[in-house]
Amino acid sequence: MHSFFGKQLPVAVAFFSGVLMIITFFSGDQTVADFSQEQLVWVTIVGGFSLLLGVASITRVSLSDVRKRRKGWPYKAVLLIFLVASSLGAIIEGTERGTLYDWLFQNMNAPMMSTMFSLLAFYIASAAYRAFRARTVEATILLITATIVMLGRVPLGELIYGKLPEITDWIMNYPNLSVQRGIIIGAALGAASMSLRIILGIERTYLGRQ
Amino acid sequence: MLTRIADVLARIDRRIIYLLISISVIIPTLVIFPLPVQVSPETQKLYDRVEAIPDSSMILLTFDYYPSTLAETEPMSVAVLKQCWRKNLKVVTLSTVGLGGPSIADRVMSTLADKFGKVYGIDYVNLGYKANYQAVLLGLGKSIRSIYPTDYYDTPLDSLPMMKNVDTYDAFDFIFIVSDNGIVDNWVGLVNAQFGSEMGAGVTAVMAPKFYAYVRSNQLVGLLGGMKGAAEYEYLVGEKGAATAGMGAQSLVHLTIIIFILIGNFAYFAGRKKK
Amino acid sequence: MNHDIVLFLEMTLAGFLTLCIFSFLYKDNPFYRLAEHIFAGLSAGYYVGLIWHSVIMQQLWVPITQNGQYSLILPGLLGVLMFTRLVDRLSFLSRVSIAFVVGNTAGISIIQQLHGFVLPQLGDTMSRFGQEFWGPLIILIGVVSTLIYFYFSKEHKGALGITAKVGTVFIMVSFGAHFGYTVMGRVSLLIGRVQFLFVDWVHSFNKIIN
Repeated sequence: MHSFFGKQLPVAVAFFSGVLMIITFFSGDQTVADFSQEQLVWVTIVGGFSLLLGVASITRVSLSDVRKRRKGWPYKAVLLIFLVASSLGAIIEGTERGTLYDWLFQNMNAPMMSTMFSLLAFYIASAAYRAFRARTVEATILLITATIVMLGRVPLGELIYGKLPEITDWIMNYPNLSVQRGIIIGAALGAASMSLRIILGIERTYLGRQ
Repeated sequence: MLTRIADVLARIDRRIIYLLISISVIIPTLVIFPLPVQVSPETQKLYDRVEAIPDSSMILLTFDYYPSTLAETEPMSVAVLKQCWRKNLKVVTLSTVGLGGPSIADRVMSTLADKFGKVYGIDYVNLGYKANYQAVLLGLGKSIRSIYPTDYYDTPLDSLPMMKNVDTYDAFDFIFIVSDNGIVDNWVGLVNAQFGSEMGAGVTAVMAPKFYAYVRSNQLVGLLGGMKGAAEYEYLVGEKGAATAGMGAQSLVHLTIIIFILIGNFAYFAGRKKK
Repeated sequence: MNHDIVLFLEMTLAGFLTLCIFSFLYKDNPFYRLAEHIFAGLSAGYYVGLIWHSVIMQQLWVPITQNGQYSLILPGLLGVLMFTRLVDRLSFLSRVSIAFVVGNTAGISIIQQLHGFVLPQLGDTMSRFGQEFWGPLIILIGVVSTLIYFYFSKEHKGALGITAKVGTVFIMVSFGAHFGYTVMGRVSLLIGRVQFLFVDWVHSFNKIIN
């Protein structure tokens, strides 16, 4: 029973749900299209629940920390208070403008998330100063291109040398584009073969420990 | 003497770097000075394509971004919306990003709608969010209603006058993606490839280099890259906004970072000579 | 309360939280940690609110109870089964739900990668020679040499080695451009926060004193 639900059934389900998507692409049949549309709707629903899994996990860990008064528990209590406020606000009142849920997001969550990512500006500046060295020919090419692009993409660069934006456009549209294209093709082939392995049941690591 | 200078320059404290970066951002933000905006070909193409959409047609505008990148992406959404509503286009919006996407769409759309006198359900609709973006994008190609039975505000789509005869991508003259993540790949690889929908994208600078490949292969009509791309679009739309205001600071910080890179290299080579 | 005062208070809250996060640049401190936990709590709560409305209410409850779409009970059950992952003894039951989503994604992906990326990108690399010569040639050389650089199944010697070396030059130019763009992006995010602190916040304060 355990092996059926834990192994055979999941592999079979992955096979059929994957193959259906492939058949739909090639078949013009209306019944197949309807069936696969139904599956897509189902996947959006199940996918939604999987997002809540992380929330359930963080709640469990934080609750346990607070209950056992582990180090830093007051912070976890704050976390739980805001988690509950935002969730209950949404469930009771809704999510549109003017609700507590939206207010918490616009005035607290969004500014904090924006600021967290803006810290990276400082770190990247510091890292560029410390690690960006013209040690080899390759590193020198990297450094020169980065400098041209950094100047060529801001108005000041144009004032320094009028042709910098054009040179930057050329770099982006030829050498950069060709490498990105190579990577896109290579990665796509890799992803396609990985998908095939999943559908055929060769790749099963997504199922977790067996 | 030279080696001593090199020694000092090799050991600049990170907090001094942070301070100089802060100053380079703050001063141009407070003292805005006019700078020329040169429009890149990718931005121009995207602007021209949206301009060419017949008035009163329908466009799909996505808010596929997290609040972390608002500084780059929101000015794009605002500039495009202004262009759309000036042409009286009807705008449908959705978000494939869970954390914040639909709320940002809600705020940006309703704020601008007040200014332009646009009415919800007649001039614009916010579909909101649904999970698992690949399934969502593919599903919308066959039936929008099956994926989105209602809009973001729980209103059934049939109750919205604008959505009466809209159920697939065919209803949209153009898809304008604003994104800070790899979702653009899925719009291109699924929606453009399988349904032939024409699309263009405004993306963060970090994402932009990759998408030049899609512009050349005509899978994307055009591309806006980062705050600079947003400033270019603001310039074309004729409404200077947050992105244009940021260009002075952007210029100065880039210069500061380049100077630090030069200092680092000078210190490295002068120090190596000594050894 | 006066609208301007409310706006100022909201901005002050967002400004305070912004400064709490920025304080991390000096060193880790209680203000940062408080903001960090509020952020984590609000983000988790945001997902609960969003999934409650977008999935549970809009895609399940209303269609089942008002429209009689009883077949949706099944994806609802699959969604609930996801949570068995949190209980060690029952976690095998979540595998069917995971396999359903992963299999579907793999099926979509296989077509997407080959039909959406590989063919159009290869096609464009080959088909432009009729219109121009040098541009497509540079791109062709870049794409081929990049693919060969990342091809590790054979030692990079002889012609393969030379091509891989050419690939290195292209890759360095592209990565340099990417670095330049990354700097640009991170700096933009910082500009956004500085605009908030020094323009928007100050403006909201000026409004209430005038």
